[in-house]
Amino acid sequence: MTSEPSTRQLLPTATGRQTWAALRTELAHLPGLSAVAGTLLIAAAATGLVAPWVLGRLVDDVIAGTDTPQVVTWAGVIAGAAVLAGLLTAAGAAIAARLGETVLARLRERVLDRALHLPSATLERAGTGDLVARAGDDVAVVTNVIATSGPAFLGALLSIVLTAAGLFALDWRLGIAGLAAAPAYAVALRWYLKRSVPYYARERVATGERAQATAEALRGAATVRAYRMEDAHVARIADRSGVARDLSLEIFGLYTRFGLRINRSEFVGLAAVLLAGFLLVRGDLASVGAATTAALYFHRLFNPIGLLLFESDSVLQAGASLARLVGVTTLPDTTTPAGAEPARPDRVPAALEVTVAQHRYDDGPIVLRDITLRLAPGERVALVGASGAGKSTLAGIIAGIIAPTHGAVTLRGVPLAQLDEHRLRREIALISQEVHVFAGPLADDLRLANPDATDAEIGAALDLVGATEWVRTLPDGLATAVGEGGRQLTSAQAQQLALARLVLADPAVAVLDEATAEAGSAGARDLDRAAVAATEGRATLVVAHRLSQAATADRIVVLDQGRVAEHGTHAELLSAGGGYSQLWRSWSVPDLVVPRKRESADQPVAS
Amino acid sequence: MTVAEITGGVVLRRALRRQRARVAAGIALLCTHQAAEALVPVAIGVVIDRAVATGDIRALLLSLAGLAALFTVLAFAYRAGARLAFAAVEHEAHATRVEIVRSALDPRGRRSGMRDGELLSVTASDAELSALVVRVAGLTAAAFTAIVVAAVALLVVDVPLGLGVLIGVPLLVVALQRMAPLLTRRSTSQQEALATTTALAVDLVTGLRVLRGIGAQDHAARRYAGASRHALDVTLRAATTKGLHLGLTTTVNGLFLATVAGVAGWLALQGRLTIGELVAVVGLAQFIAEPVQTLGYCVQMFAMARASAGRVARVLGAAPAVQPGDAGMPAPSPSRLALDGVSYAGLDDVSLRVGAGELLGVLAYDPSEAEALVALLAGRVSRADYRGTLAVDGVPADELHIDAARAVVLVEQHDVALFEGTLRANLSAGASVDDDVLRAAVRAAAADDVLAAHPHGFDRMLTERGANLSGGQRQRIGLARALVADPPVLVLHNPTTAVDAVTEGLLAAGLAATRGAGTRGTVVITTSPALLRVTHRVVVIDRGRVVAEGPHERLLASDTRYREETLR
Repeated sequence: MTSEPSTRQLLPTATGRQTWAALRTELAHLPGLSAVAGTLLIAAAATGLVAPWVLGRLVDDVIAGTDTPQVVTWAGVIAGAAVLAGLLTAAGAAIAARLGETVLARLRERVLDRALHLPSATLERAGTGDLVARAGDDVAVVTNVIATSGPAFLGALLSIVLTAAGLFALDWRLGIAGLAAAPAYAVALRWYLKRSVPYYARERVATGERAQATAEALRGAATVRAYRMEDAHVARIADRSGVARDLSLEIFGLYTRFGLRINRSEFVGLAAVLLAGFLLVRGDLASVGAATTAALYFHRLFNPIGLLLFESDSVLQAGASLARLVGVTTLPDTTTPAGAEPARPDRVPAALEVTVAQHRYDDGPIVLRDITLRLAPGERVALVGASGAGKSTLAGIIAGIIAPTHGAVTLRGVPLAQLDEHRLRREIALISQEVHVFAGPLADDLRLANPDATDAEIGAALDLVGATEWVRTLPDGLATAVGEGGRQLTSAQAQQLALARLVLADPAVAVLDEATAEAGSAGARDLDRAAVAATEGRATLVVAHRLSQAATADRIVVLDQGRVAEHGTHAELLSAGGGYSQLWRSWSVPDLVVPRKRESADQPVAS
Repeated sequence: MTVAEITGGVVLRRALRRQRARVAAGIALLCTHQAAEALVPVAIGVVIDRAVATGDIRALLLSLAGLAALFTVLAFAYRAGARLAFAAVEHEAHATRVEIVRSALDPRGRRSGMRDGELLSVTASDAELSALVVRVAGLTAAAFTAIVVAAVALLVVDVPLGLGVLIGVPLLVVALQRMAPLLTRRSTSQQEALATTTALAVDLVTGLRVLRGIGAQDHAARRYAGASRHALDVTLRAATTKGLHLGLTTTVNGLFLATVAGVAGWLALQGRLTIGELVAVVGLAQFIAEPVQTLGYCVQMFAMARASAGRVARVLGAAPAVQPGDAGMPAPSPSRLALDGVSYAGLDDVSLRVGAGELLGVLAYDPSEAEALVALLAGRVSRADYRGTLAVDGVPADELHIDAARAVVLVEQHDVALFEGTLRANLSAGASVDDDVLRAAVRAAAADDVLAAHPHGFDRMLTERGANLSGGQRQRIGLARALVADPPVLVLHNPTTAVDAVTEGLLAAGLAATRGAGTRGTVVITTSPALLRVTHRVVVIDRGRVVAEGPHERLLASDTRYREETLR
């Protein structure tokens, strides 16, 4: 059940200043590399100025009627500058990449580290959607820009600055003439960015909608065919593809109009430089060679300026992504300091007590009240109740991921609030309704729970949850790639993996929330057995979807509208003849004809 | 279109043919643009020669006007040409994409052998990449034009010098291209490493709640850091190679420029070149490398387009999975659906019959045999792949036209697929249906909560694949959808696996009341006792064979295995 997306924008985005500060801090960590990279890049751009300057001198000398050795000398200077420029460029590009990529790698690792250690309260509110977008898309955008456009962008920027300086060094009046183009460029860029950035956002949305419609239709192809809806779906996809295409065409139209403005600016600049050169030569204030150098300088700028302008929007987008990444790194750090990882918590079985006077989400209705519950070491307690009775909320409170509005949970007598999150998570494991198989080799998935687990331990865990048989049929055994892009596991198999992870993580307390809900009947029975085996010896709370899970529990707590309606053993509750016994009869006795009126047992699910 | 003969080459040629008007006009304009670009250095030379060096105002004004005219032609030719070429690519990509989707959703199914993910990437990126052939055509023609114009200009200035440049530049570009395979290899592994890192991040964060549940965040962060470091190493190797290539290009171009400048300067000294010609030659020597590089780029782009076109052709040319006949809708018969001695994928000589007005339960002890039965009834299995007969209203199913077959038999999948849109659109599946009918079906499927819990009622929006409903709600809406469609024969497969016990009982009663009368036939393939209880008869399949048959209560009483399998 998802709430509206608008309430989910809860992760911070850094301001421009914070982003710059974060970058400066990172660069300051690598002072030597930063200095060398900067020097090399500037020197490389400067050597690029030699050739046009020499050509101007050559023109002057030819007009003056020099001799052949002088021409050869000038050619030699250009050649020497070329070799030097090549060396500087190669070294500069490599070292700048080392700097940029290292900073980026550190940033992305920090982003993921913070994302993974998001405080439970923040995660429950923010959901994983935004976080996935940041760890995935935003990192990819920044990485791509740094890897592909970054060096060229930086090189172009330096070329432009240095060439402008060169133009002034040649003759300040020629420099001013060259600068005449700057306003034209600036106006063109402003015009473009104002329009393109929102356009790109719209294009991304349109492309996303197209992809979504396509994915939905292809994944549901059997249903589409069964209901004869092919035409409707093809029409919908064609419609969305058409919208995306038209937007792309509009954006390209914008792009070419921008190109037109750039060409106009180029002409303005070139004409101004030539005109100034003409006047200066006529007034005997400069040589024909200087005018030639100026024109060549300016012509040489066409490509870097174009590149700078056309790349400006992707650089802006990378900046926006960077701000979102830096935003994640400003979240509080709940990571355990390196090296301080506690040894396995005391392997003594633990008791857990929970009291909830009242719990509500924000200003919502009260979902739990007057609850007191104790899980003795090794005891298995089942939670039974209709949808919306508050089972999952209570499970979340016991697992320590939801803090009760009024109430407390203690583990071995210590309030959970006083345990650090890391310690807590090693003591109390929660298998929620969310099932996820991690992409990659099966063994890697399981080792997330315990990186030091040997193959034998992994085998034993799989055996305990009854997964050995199907794992043996996998083509590469434990090395078989599963999850996204690998072998698709059934939901029952995925549940078995979740239980195997629990075994390997070996916590003192286990909370299972509807872990077997989605499996078919036959598979569900096997999973029930697997869950019992995996939680043997742990204080366990099972949110029972199937009543068989309740029947095998040591004790049962029935929730109704946020309160404890009944509790006791299976036998006690049956003989008490209350709601539980009716529920059990309607569920377990195969020949019962008409169930009770539904309203009393199955509350509508709030969504 | 005879689908069997589509190849990558056909896809590429078809793209050019379909877009020929845009391509032709685009090529003409892009060629004009490149010719004008080639003339810019010449024009600078002319301005310096005729005006700057002479101080003649009239010459200055004339040459600047000429420069302005050149820039105008250049700019507008580019704008119009690039737009036409881009539009050709986009229109072609769109058309191809729609064709791919139509083919993938072919009611007969297609044997492309691709999984959903692959099909998606073919529709998303290969459609676009194969259309790039159009752009390749435009760019190649334009680059050739630029080279020809520059060549003519150089030869007009000085024949030996022009020849030297014309031979030298391509040699240099080809020489520098020798690094291309290494560059490509390095940047491919860089892309792969980065994609892997991104995928790992997305995967870990998507499973964050699972990680947190077992306290595995630290391990996950360490795993990511390892992948990130590896990506960094690969990226740095690629960046070093790229830097090397960039440096080499800079040096080689500079050395070439030094040679041309030296020779041209010496020629100017001999009086064989004017100052303007000297400037023009140097400018052209620098310019000409660009179109030559463009040609190299075009070769790579064409290789990419061809590879994508091959994948597009695999989808478009895939043979249909089944070959339906052309018989129209059969008249209703007392035996609505009949399997006689059917053997297919684990099913061994299965015979069963669904009469008019009958609610038949099927319990297959092995889930894969249930799947096989569903595939058969859904018409997904080619006649050649099963033995025995499958008859719909007395007519062999393979003789029916695909639309007739689908009009009679409807299979609602176990894994219910809902679509983005209103609840009403999902329930009516494209038909126009009264709200009362919808409401009745929703009630029968015990899905009132989906409707009641929301202020918009039937106009409630479902997100992609119905993700804003719970699994149980999706299943019940799927059932309601099937009841709304009200097909002569309805097949349900494990329709209540995510539905709680009480609701399941209500749903079973609703299903029996809605389908268990009149002339319609219903097959419920399930292990749920609550559903089996409301059927008229249950057929039990074990190891591919029908091993028992009879009312649920009788089987419960007489058959131990049956009791065990349906007990909870």
